[in-house]
Amino acid sequence: MSEDPVDVLIVGAGASSAAFAWSLADTRMEILCLEQGEWMDPSRYPSTGGDWELRAQNDMAFSPNVRKRPADYPIRDDESPIKPALFNAVGGSTITYAAHFPRMHPSDFRVRTLDGVADDWPLDYAMLEPWYALNERMMGVAGLAGDPCYPPKQPPLPPVPLGRLGERVARGFDALGWHWWPSDSAIATREYEGRAPCINLGPCTSGCAQGAKASTDVTYWPAALRRGVRLETRCRVCEVTLGSDGLADGVVYYDANGALRRQRAEIVVLACNGIGTPRLLLNSRSPSFPDGLANSSGLVGRNLMFHPYAMVNGIFPERLEGYQGPVGCGLMSQEFYETDASRGFTRGYSFELMRGVGAVSIALWGAAQGWLPWGERHHEAYESIFDRTAGLLAICEDLPEPHNCVTLDPELRDSNGIPAPRIQYRLAENSRRMLEHGGARAREALEAAGAKQTVCESPLRVAGWHLMGTARMGRDPRTSVVNEWGRSHDVRNLFVIDGSLFVTAGAVNPTNTIQALALHIADRIKHRLGNLFDD
Amino acid sequence: MSAPADSAAALSRDALACVLDLLIPASADGRLPAAGELGLAAYVEELSAATPGLRPLLEQGLSKLDADASTRGARGFAALAPDARRSLLDELAKALPAFPPTVFFVAMTGYYREPRVLAALGLEARPPFPKGHAVGETDFGLLERVRQRGKLYR
Repeated sequence: MSEDPVDVLIVGAGASSAAFAWSLADTRMEILCLEQGEWMDPSRYPSTGGDWELRAQNDMAFSPNVRKRPADYPIRDDESPIKPALFNAVGGSTITYAAHFPRMHPSDFRVRTLDGVADDWPLDYAMLEPWYALNERMMGVAGLAGDPCYPPKQPPLPPVPLGRLGERVARGFDALGWHWWPSDSAIATREYEGRAPCINLGPCTSGCAQGAKASTDVTYWPAALRRGVRLETRCRVCEVTLGSDGLADGVVYYDANGALRRQRAEIVVLACNGIGTPRLLLNSRSPSFPDGLANSSGLVGRNLMFHPYAMVNGIFPERLEGYQGPVGCGLMSQEFYETDASRGFTRGYSFELMRGVGAVSIALWGAAQGWLPWGERHHEAYESIFDRTAGLLAICEDLPEPHNCVTLDPELRDSNGIPAPRIQYRLAENSRRMLEHGGARAREALEAAGAKQTVCESPLRVAGWHLMGTARMGRDPRTSVVNEWGRSHDVRNLFVIDGSLFVTAGAVNPTNTIQALALHIADRIKHRLGNLFDD
Repeated sequence: MSAPADSAAALSRDALACVLDLLIPASADGRLPAAGELGLAAYVEELSAATPGLRPLLEQGLSKLDADASTRGARGFAALAPDARRSLLDELAKALPAFPPTVFFVAMTGYYREPRVLAALGLEARPPFPKGHAVGETDFGLLERVRQRGKLYR
């Protein structure tokens, strides 16, 4: 690779950078993305083989500490009850996400004003609305218009069918008079923009062999590359460097052969997720920034937010065909989304339906619950749970707290010798109360649907899928890392475009909002090219 | 599924097959086969080579079962009558508590992928891709009550 400077250098090729690069390609600037992982080969995803359930827990596991693929870096997570779950490849964690694709609520951007907690965002739902709509067209979102929990919106594709399991659970919500709605799902339910339609494989979270799930390696990236964006894989960036003018002048990275290389750039954009981005900034120390680049606020890595989950599984008397259909996309409920002080906590949560799992997974789960004995009673016990489980996840809003943070581990390093991230996280009392409430209400819903028994796991352990808040946006340089369009307060040609930006977490999966923010930031850059670096 | 062919391993495999039959026996109605009968001993042994800690646990447990069987005058665990095997395995569960649940856990990862087992459960013995599954369209008329509630966001 040439070391000639590029106009725009993006680090990371996941959800946000794909949308950002595609949009910014309008400018005809020279855009280069460096990604530590590789292109995935869908023909080798687990669902193509008989060992699909085992591979989903090994080489395609959620945790990089379990998976240990060459592209992965280790994360010290023993000081957190919730373990980070992310994927390193072209497409990033969209390779393994469930594709549950809701928007945040208007209230999510105004929590200080409405509920007196955390901070308001420096932008609002109305500003993001056109970017949500564009993103949903680009990703191909299936859903149903008319949800009273949102301002009007029109998903471009019809909803994912609920199947027997989903219809059973929907009747439970209906019996209670609670809100429910078919999920917005980044899944092509019809042929869409060259993508094949969903054929209900089931295990979306270990990669979609059909290509129906909207991971960005099959949505934005091909479109961005056609528009002239360059993407180099197996390039692990270890430092963003600073020029004598106080601007970022490029990065240092390890190439596929382990050689240390340099790439200069006029603009540097970080899109490494809520752990990778603060890790890179904290690893980029200099005399001007001894505590890490762009960190005059001291907030780089702080205010880490997950979405704590309570997972309740119900056991039903009849078979539900639950292994058929997208595992994490069916229906959602936002009956308990908005603040109600009588519940004993501030803000709220969503419910998401989880379909059933395969024959091996239910056996291992049943044994772990102590429900599945060995010996003569084994088969009777197994058949009482196989294809008879339906799950509800309560996805709880986590409020930002400075002590929940990403720092650098003093000892742990990745395969290139780069200091690894260390996660320190404690569940807040507000989150505990929310989890308790969500678990109890999920049991009610499943029992109303006919479950004869329920079991709750809370907080769900390897469920740190959503990594937010560690380089948050705001107008005040003392209380935020970047401004309202993603530019560092300290380094005026350095941008952050991933989940690190989030001021608060909402109570929905964040990918749609992450990408809408990336499109918004790209738009702001395009409108400010003449004075992009001005105060 | 292949396995080492040395005689010591083969002897242990006989015991292992019997253990597997005790952990996952055939179902009373005969629809579901026993794990040992399916030949899963070779699978468990193969997996033990790649799973830290599993091989020593297997060796320790199977050796003890064989040794205990010999004190009862049998030429190894496999030579005992079924009730006597069950009795020895119960005793082993007290002396080496990790043995039965670990072997059970590993055995299930093979057992519930076997075509005969999947067929008995009403499943096709195939990976999800490329055939997938046919899921019928949903009638969302049930949403009418939700629609009638009006705006629910702030």
